[in-house]
Amino acid sequence: MVASAGSKKRKAVTRDVEEEAGTFSGDELAGDLNGALSDSANDLSSDEDDSEVELVDEFSSDDDDDEEEELDSDEIPSDGEDAVKKNSAKSTAAPADDESSSDEAEVNFRIEKDANGNDRYVYDEINPDDNSDYSDIDEDSNTIGNIPLSFYDQYPHIGYDINGKKIMRPATGEALDALLDSIEIPKGFTGLTDPSTGKPLELSQDELELLRKVQMNEIPEDGYNPYEPLMEWFTTEKEVMPLSAAPEPKRRFLPSKHEAKRVMKLVKAIREGRILPYKPPSEQEEEDKDLIKYDLWADEEERPDHIMHVPAPKLPPPGYEESYHPPAEYLPDQKERKTWEQADPEDREREYLPTDFGSLRKVPGYGEFVKEKFERCLDLYLAPRVRRSKLNIDPESLLPKLPSPEELKPFPSMCATVFRGHKGRVRSIAVDPTGVWLATAGDDGTVRVWELLTGRQLWSVQLSEEDAVNVVRWRPGKDAVVLAAAAGDDLYLMVPSILDPELEQASLELLDAGWGYAASKPAPSAAEEGKKTPPQWIRPSSALTDSGVCAVIPLRYVAKSISWHRRGDYFVTVCPGASTPASVAVAIHTVSKHLTQYPFSRRIKGGGPPQTAHFHPSKPILFVANQRSVRGYDLSRQLLVKIVQPGARWISSFDIHPTSSTASGGDNLIVGSYDRRLLWHDLELSQRPYKTLRYHRKAIRAVKFHPSGRYPLFADASDDGSLQIFHGSVTGDMLSNASIVPLKVLKGHKITGELGVLDIDWHPREAWCVSAGADGTCRLWM
Amino acid sequence: MNGTQESSSAASAQRQVRVQLVSKQEDIALPENTGPILVPTGLRRYALSTLVNNLLGNDKPVPFEFLINGAFLRTSIDEYLTANGISAETTLEIEYIRALIPPLHIASFEHDDWVSAVDVLSATSSAASWASSSIPQGQERILSASYDGLLRVWNMSSQIVATSPSAVDGGHSASIKAAKFLSPNSIVSAGLDRTVRLWKYTESEDGFSGKIAPQLELYGHKSGINSLAVHAPSNRILTASSDHAVGFWSAKKSDAPAAPESLLPSAASRTSKRRKLNSSVSTPQRGPLALLSSHTAPVSAAIFDAKDSTVGYSTSWDHTLRTWDLVTAALVDTRSTSHSLLSLEHLPEHHLLATGTSARHITLIDPRVSATTISAMTLRGHTNAVVSLSRDPHSSYGLISGSHDGTCRIWDIRATKTDKEGVVGESVYSITRKSLEEAGKADAKRVGGEGVKVFGVCWDRSVGIVSAGEDKRIQINRGEGVLSSA
Repeated sequence: MVASAGSKKRKAVTRDVEEEAGTFSGDELAGDLNGALSDSANDLSSDEDDSEVELVDEFSSDDDDDEEEELDSDEIPSDGEDAVKKNSAKSTAAPADDESSSDEAEVNFRIEKDANGNDRYVYDEINPDDNSDYSDIDEDSNTIGNIPLSFYDQYPHIGYDINGKKIMRPATGEALDALLDSIEIPKGFTGLTDPSTGKPLELSQDELELLRKVQMNEIPEDGYNPYEPLMEWFTTEKEVMPLSAAPEPKRRFLPSKHEAKRVMKLVKAIREGRILPYKPPSEQEEEDKDLIKYDLWADEEERPDHIMHVPAPKLPPPGYEESYHPPAEYLPDQKERKTWEQADPEDREREYLPTDFGSLRKVPGYGEFVKEKFERCLDLYLAPRVRRSKLNIDPESLLPKLPSPEELKPFPSMCATVFRGHKGRVRSIAVDPTGVWLATAGDDGTVRVWELLTGRQLWSVQLSEEDAVNVVRWRPGKDAVVLAAAAGDDLYLMVPSILDPELEQASLELLDAGWGYAASKPAPSAAEEGKKTPPQWIRPSSALTDSGVCAVIPLRYVAKSISWHRRGDYFVTVCPGASTPASVAVAIHTVSKHLTQYPFSRRIKGGGPPQTAHFHPSKPILFVANQRSVRGYDLSRQLLVKIVQPGARWISSFDIHPTSSTASGGDNLIVGSYDRRLLWHDLELSQRPYKTLRYHRKAIRAVKFHPSGRYPLFADASDDGSLQIFHGSVTGDMLSNASIVPLKVLKGHKITGELGVLDIDWHPREAWCVSAGADGTCRLWM
Repeated sequence: MNGTQESSSAASAQRQVRVQLVSKQEDIALPENTGPILVPTGLRRYALSTLVNNLLGNDKPVPFEFLINGAFLRTSIDEYLTANGISAETTLEIEYIRALIPPLHIASFEHDDWVSAVDVLSATSSAASWASSSIPQGQERILSASYDGLLRVWNMSSQIVATSPSAVDGGHSASIKAAKFLSPNSIVSAGLDRTVRLWKYTESEDGFSGKIAPQLELYGHKSGINSLAVHAPSNRILTASSDHAVGFWSAKKSDAPAAPESLLPSAASRTSKRRKLNSSVSTPQRGPLALLSSHTAPVSAAIFDAKDSTVGYSTSWDHTLRTWDLVTAALVDTRSTSHSLLSLEHLPEHHLLATGTSARHITLIDPRVSATTISAMTLRGHTNAVVSLSRDPHSSYGLISGSHDGTCRIWDIRATKTDKEGVVGESVYSITRKSLEEAGKADAKRVGGEGVKVFGVCWDRSVGIVSAGEDKRIQINRGEGVLSSA
């Protein structure tokens, strides 16, 4: 039974060992064990079984069989586990157990004295219980007797019962395990039903572990140490450093009733007059009444300080050196002390040595006190105190002195004439070189010439029915009067019929001279062939011829800017449209040859299409502005000579100072931009603007210098409907910069459709300027 | 009420001031030096005027104005003294002059186009006096030159007596900028067509119709003519042109040299349309006696010296006033100012030339070589360029100016004060355009005198102040009292 149970258990654990099951038998084990024990007992002192076991272990490590047997022998006594555990400390050996049981068998009787005095062995009554031999007869018990079960190994039965029937060998572990394995038991299967859900109650491993711990009276929590060392927070013992040093609270004070009684007695006595609390005034004071006392300061009032009163300078507050217990770094070392002591009192840096007294009560009297106070008094008394007035600077005086506008007269200040007649915006305006006429061009497709002073329209031509005339410019020079205008895709050269016959003849001849030249050289050269073919100048329609137009240049793109060379033979046009090919955006036209050339083959660098271009007043330089920069090109050498970067985002217009590079200094340039800036450039100075003027609220459309050197004026026109006049004198030498004074804001143009003043021009001699407004009027300012 | 009045009058009666009454005009001067008179300070102009009339013993009282230290007395003497901080102890020197009656609007003659110049033919006008012909009162004629290229002669009842022929019939082919009566039956005009034209003006017996016939065309200028001046006794004409030249012409066909061929309209090689404009009437064409060219900018005005017709003066946009000896056609003197000069008038009694400037004032210049200062006086008040000047026929001190600001201003060169910019005068009266009042915008400030610019002004003793302007009318203003006293 015992062996089978043990083997069964074994088999459940490991199946590999099962093959040698045959070798397993309690007897064999016991025999081996005993043999081994006896061996060891022979060799060693057998007092302590523990050591024996250990030794056995050690020895058994030599051969595998022994080890196995050892392992098995460890498990064999598992039947009596409890006994082993309880007696582990006492280490009772198995053979000893056997002996003790034999001892018990011997003493199941007691020896009593019978009446004869003889020993009488009295046995206990036999209790016919389960343990009794009689009750032992069990129908199912094996009756094979004391023979090894191994004898039945080859049979399907293991013995016979009392009735002689074969006891069949129970199902082996193998078959059971196979059965158990075939049954899938869900994890945590308990076989119970959760009453709350009605479903099978399943417990997780942790819960099972918890249950196990509860069952085993163990502490269910992990990591809980029930035997932590005790920390005594509050003790009855008096500590050296108590947790609280608070004095005894007053609520624990018990007033003394005895003292209260005494006080009440005194009070009563005082009330009854038996005790006088104060001494009665002595006689002496009355005697002093004859003495008259004057309180000098009785009606003294605080008065304000005298106006010349200078408060005494304050002494600096004491520092660490003066402390009675200065930090160690302030204390002098030996050497410093010595040098201080050896120095003359007058040469000393300080009048005392920092000394550490440890505590205030140890500080002795200060020997120098009287001397120090005396010197301080001398300082206050004798040192002259001067009232030093603060530097009183008017901020205005720090600004650079600008001459007042009154001194810079004349400049335009009032609107003298309003020119009405254009329908729609007036886009361009120009005063003729003699200063008598004014040419304007506008959205209505007309170019008009006016008498400047009176505002009388003298001449008008309708260049285009639908396209606006973008720009109109007079040819410089007084030998001929020619107007150049750009309307739509075409350029028109006109001689207005307001001239005397001689001048008109001269002007017509000037324009007609080129026809012959163009005819004599009709085919463009091979080099020009490869390029974009320049337009051929054509004669205008008869209607236009009658009204004064002499030549038409079909430019194919909309020109927005015309600028004449000062000699009047060339003019440059710029087509700033985004769709214009870069190679034809800038065109130079020669009047005498009726020739149009494109000086640039590629787009000018620096941002965007070209906006406007001007010839330098004296040098053969063409300045071209694109959206971000102005570049100067030497036309004779075909070189880029100057780059001006105003820093504006989109240049609208620029102008070159008329006296640039003549006798006086360098070139000066003004640039107006759509981002509301007017920038003055001194080209000798820098690429960057010398002055930035931001006075307009809206985009600046046009900027212009006064063309004559007589008036150092310039003006700009803005979309906010105003013109601003500036004085900008350029000095002859290079030493001083140009001085720029804002002079006047001229208002009057109405803002029409977000546009204010579109163009501006100066009278060639006078300090008068004219402006073209989006409101359809032009104005003369003088 | 009475009590207070009495007390105040008593108080003012106690305050008295010594005044010395003087006059520079001999006909109204006090017979003998009366010495200082003690007058109450409460007196105003009217009371003083009565006082002077009493002193003079005039049967018919003449209104007087009183000038104290260059300012007209417009308040009581007391208020004047307090306003100017003058002690009543001092002796006030008061100059009295004939009062100028505020000029009232008499009539307006409407035109089709802007009117650039006016002239008057009356008994007292220079043209009549040179011709020593008498024009009966009521038969005065007003000549107007218009931007439509026509000359018109008006009678005083706003009827057009005669109109010059159009360009096709021998008239001006462009706007006329200046016109003058040379004599009661001849007219000189000049304009933007660069010609000076002499016209014969004839009138029917009843005086209600007339004819202006071309008589002579004078060629020589290369640009528009801005103004002209005539001197009938010597038959000389001075013109000022934008071609920087002063033209000196003879009004007699026989005197004048031949016209320069190149400037004749036939010389123009332009289109047939231009030829159409050419006159179908053949008029004798002549050239200038001399072209005085030393100006460097358009000449704005040219006049004869009022006393000596051999001396001419011209002003130009080049800021100069030049004196010419017309006999030798030589430049005598140049006076430079700081502004463009746009008009000119001679004040012979004071040896002064008044010129209107683009800087909105009138400068009085002494043209004599001995004069040390260029600008003797500045008359300020206009708000736009002063383009026309005319003498006061009643007084040698008076002056009227027409300006592009749409006003005519009357000045008295005695009413001046001295400030840091020299002697400065203020206008006595300002005449606005009647057209503005009729439009109901009398108070509205016109920017740049838009629509009401005055282009020409003429002051005649009998007709009054005649001014012409952008409002397409001639406007006649007259101070009635002046007429009656004259």
